[in-house]
Amino acid sequence: MNSSIENTCPGPKKSWNRALLQGLPIFMWMLLLILVPLAIMFVTSFFVKEGVQVVHRLTLRNYLEFFTNPIYLPIFFRTIFLALSVSLTALLLAYPLAFFISRKVTRFRSQLYMMVIVPLWISYLVRIVAWRTILGRVGVLNSLLLALGLIREPLPFLIYSPFAVYLTLIHIALPFVFISVFSSLEKIPSNLLDATSDLGANSFQTFRHVILPLSMPGVVSGFTLAFVIALGDYIIPQQLGGLNGLMFGNLIVSQFGYAFNWPLGAALGFIMFAVAVAILFFSQKLGSSEGFLE
Amino acid sequence: MKRTGTFSFLRTYSVLVYFFLYFPLLVVFLYSLNASRSTVRFEGLTLAWYSRLFHNPALLEALFNSLKVSAVAVSFAVVVGTTGALFLNRVEFKGKALFRSLSMLPIILPGIIVGLSLLVFFINLRLQLSLWTVMLGHMTFTTPVVMFQVLARLQRLSRNLENAAMDLGAKPHQAFLYVTLPMIKRAIVGGALLAFTMSFDEIIITFFLIGTTNTLPVYLYGMLRFGLSPEVYAISTIVLGFSLLLILFMARYTGTGEEIYGKR
Repeated sequence: MNSSIENTCPGPKKSWNRALLQGLPIFMWMLLLILVPLAIMFVTSFFVKEGVQVVHRLTLRNYLEFFTNPIYLPIFFRTIFLALSVSLTALLLAYPLAFFISRKVTRFRSQLYMMVIVPLWISYLVRIVAWRTILGRVGVLNSLLLALGLIREPLPFLIYSPFAVYLTLIHIALPFVFISVFSSLEKIPSNLLDATSDLGANSFQTFRHVILPLSMPGVVSGFTLAFVIALGDYIIPQQLGGLNGLMFGNLIVSQFGYAFNWPLGAALGFIMFAVAVAILFFSQKLGSSEGFLE
Repeated sequence: MKRTGTFSFLRTYSVLVYFFLYFPLLVVFLYSLNASRSTVRFEGLTLAWYSRLFHNPALLEALFNSLKVSAVAVSFAVVVGTTGALFLNRVEFKGKALFRSLSMLPIILPGIIVGLSLLVFFINLRLQLSLWTVMLGHMTFTTPVVMFQVLARLQRLSRNLENAAMDLGAKPHQAFLYVTLPMIKRAIVGGALLAFTMSFDEIIITFFLIGTTNTLPVYLYGMLRFGLSPEVYAISTIVLGFSLLLILFMARYTGTGEEIYGKR
C-alpha cells in the first residue's frame, strides 16, 4: 500500500501515477469549491459598488466602511461577546456531563454518550421551531410561569432578544463541546489516576492537578467549535433575535438582499473569516478539532 | 466507585442537561399532535396535520428537491471523499498537514462564509442560481465528512494486508476491491449517512445559493415567516424522526458508540 514511497512494488513510476490520479479529485474539490471561491471573495472585497455598478478597481473603501460607519463595530463586538458567552456556558454545561459519563458511570455508558451526540445531527430548523415555541410570549415557559403564579404578565425578554439567541445557540453548541471534552477525558490513562490516589491525593486534588490540566486540549477545542458556531449564525438571530438580537452574520446577509452590495458583503465576510481562522489556528496549537468526525 | 456527594450532584446536573437537550424536541412532537389550531392550548390529539401534508404539492416538491440535492451531494462525497482518504492515507507530500486542515474548513468554518464565498464565485461566473448551485454548495461539507470517516478507519488498518494480497499476485485494483474495500465499507456507509443527514437539514449555505426553488428546510423557513402553525410542527416532527432514524442506524451500523466506549 505504501509502495509509492517505499518502492517495494515493481514499477514505482506507475504507482506514482496511480497516486496522483487518486489525489486529483480531492485536489480539484479543494481548489474549485474552497480555495478559488475564498480567493475570489477576498478580491471582490476590494471592489466597490457605485450606483448599480460594481467597479473593478481595488480600494479599501469597504474595510473603511466597517471601521467608520457606526453600525458595524458595535454589532461586531456584540457578536463576539455573544459567541464568548455561548461557548463559556456550553462548556459549563458540557464539562460536568462529560466528566460524569467518562469517569463516574459504569452502566449504559455508550447509550448515555450517544444520547448527547444524537442532537448534534438533529435538524437545526426544528430546534429553532422548538425554542420559539418555548420562549414565545404565549409560549410554554411563559404559560407555565403564569400558571404557577410566579409572574403576572408574560416575560417580554424571553423571545426576540439576545437571550433567546444565546439559549438556542447553546442548545446547538453543547454536543460539540461535549464530544471534545469527553474524548480528551477518555485519553487520560487510568493508571495515572491510580498513581495520584496511591500518593495520597484526594479526589478533588486529583481533579484539580491531573484531570483538569490533561483535559485542557478538549476544553480549548470545544470552546473554539462553540465560538465559531455562534459567531457565524444568522438564521437564529433572524428567527429569535428581534432588533436587539441582530448579529454580524445578519449584516453580511443583508448586503445580498435589499442592498445587493456584494463587495461590502464580501469584505464583512472576510472579516468574519479572519476572526474564525485566527481562533481556529490559535486553538489548533493547543488541541485538536477533528475528534467529532471520527 | 463509591457513591459520594459528588456523584449525586453530577447525576442531578447531568439529568438537567439531558432535559435541556431533549425537552425542546419533545415540545415540537407534542404540538404536532395538538388538535387545536392554536399553538398555545392543548385540545386533544390528532394526526390530521400529518395527513394534510401529503396533499400539499409545494411541500412535496420541496421534499423531492431536498432528496435530489442530498443524493447528488452524497454520491459525489462518497467517490471524492473515499479516493481522497485513500490518497491521504498512502501518499506523503509536503503540506499534507495543511491540506488536512484546509479540508476541515467547510465543516468548521461558519456556513455563512462557505455560502457567501460560493455565491460571490457564482455571481462572478454569471452562473444562474438553481438546485445545481445548491448541490455544489453541499459538496463542500459532505466530502470531508465521508473523507475523515474513511481516513480514520484506514489509519486503524494495517497496510500490510493489501501488500500481502499483491505479493500473492493480486493486481492493485483487485487488492483494493477484495481486501481494502470490504474493510472500509462500513466507514463509507456511515460517512454517507452522516453526510446525508447534514445535507438534508442544511439551510445556512443553501439559503445563499438556492435562487427561486425550494428545498424542504427553505420551505419550512418560509413557513416560519408567517408564524408557528400545526403544519410547521408536523413537518418538523417528520424531519426530526427522519434524522433520528438515520443517525441511530448509522451508529448501529458503524458501531460508533461501542468503538468510543471500547477505548477504556
